[in-house]
Amino acid sequence: MSPPEEELVLDRLIHEPGRLAILTVLSSVRDADFVFLQRATGLTKGNLSSHLSKLEEAGLVAIEKRFVRKKPNTNVALTAEGKRRIARHWEQLERLKNLSEAVDLGEPRVSS
Amino acid sequence: MQRRDLETAAASYSYLRGLLFIPLGGLFILAALGNWGVGPLRHTWAFFVVTVALGLVYLLINRYYVENYGRLSPSNRQQVRAGVAVAIAVAVVLGGSLLLRSRADWSLDLPVNALAVTLALVMLISYGVGVGLKAHHLIVWGALLVTGALPVWDGADPSNIGLVLAGVAVMISGVFDHRVFVDTFGPPKALHREDGDVAA
Repeated sequence: MSPPEEELVLDRLIHEPGRLAILTVLSSVRDADFVFLQRATGLTKGNLSSHLSKLEEAGLVAIEKRFVRKKPNTNVALTAEGKRRIARHWEQLERLKNLSEAVDLGEPRVSS
Repeated sequence: MQRRDLETAAASYSYLRGLLFIPLGGLFILAALGNWGVGPLRHTWAFFVVTVALGLVYLLINRYYVENYGRLSPSNRQQVRAGVAVAIAVAVVLGGSLLLRSRADWSLDLPVNALAVTLALVMLISYGVGVGLKAHHLIVWGALLVTGALPVWDGADPSNIGLVLAGVAVMISGVFDHRVFVDTFGPPKALHREDGDVAA
């Protein structure tokens, strides 16, 4: 007997496009600074800052503030929980996409 | 941006900072000029001074990229992959050069430019695996591959001409890589940064 299908629930905190972009970029590196994240996601400084605050509060990213060449530099990395949650979120989106394709390929409904 | 674009942003950042290739290409050409003993480059000290100058140019260009495009640390997996790729690339260029044309007994001794052929192959594979081949990669490195494979390199040792050709190819490819980089991440001053960044 196959195990029951896991419930398909999207993580609302992560599903917001800006936060999804930030976490996806971070999932491909060990850490990155604020400027790189801004470049890679195309978010404004204010938006990126606000999203990072929310992600840090939720324990999905770890933020280190430091000085490089006497200028403030914010370095960001995914936490273990962040890695788990973003991987699971993309799995859920893939499942949703496959489900949608399966419905599209199914028999057309006949209305009476 | 799509998921793949976001996931490959780090690879694009690492591979496409093309201006860094200009001093590297200069080093190739410098090596050839030094071997030929052109002008003051016949002296070891002159060669050393120009090498240091190229190193400083490299550091300045790297600083330009860091200040305008930020910095990142590759994942452990990416670092291992890069290390393995460099080791394989060196082995292919050295081994391939010896196999295609050298004094070794087992050499095929073909009338080709071994350095140009092996370096072009390594670069094509490296870009193909790393960020996907762009049109300019195929044109620049393809041209170097074809030029090096033409059976016209009989006679004198073509290594130095190979170094010059490789240096020019590295520089041209780098300039086009930088254009792709700017298309991907935006023009240098587009962020209107003040002092540093905004902490979360």
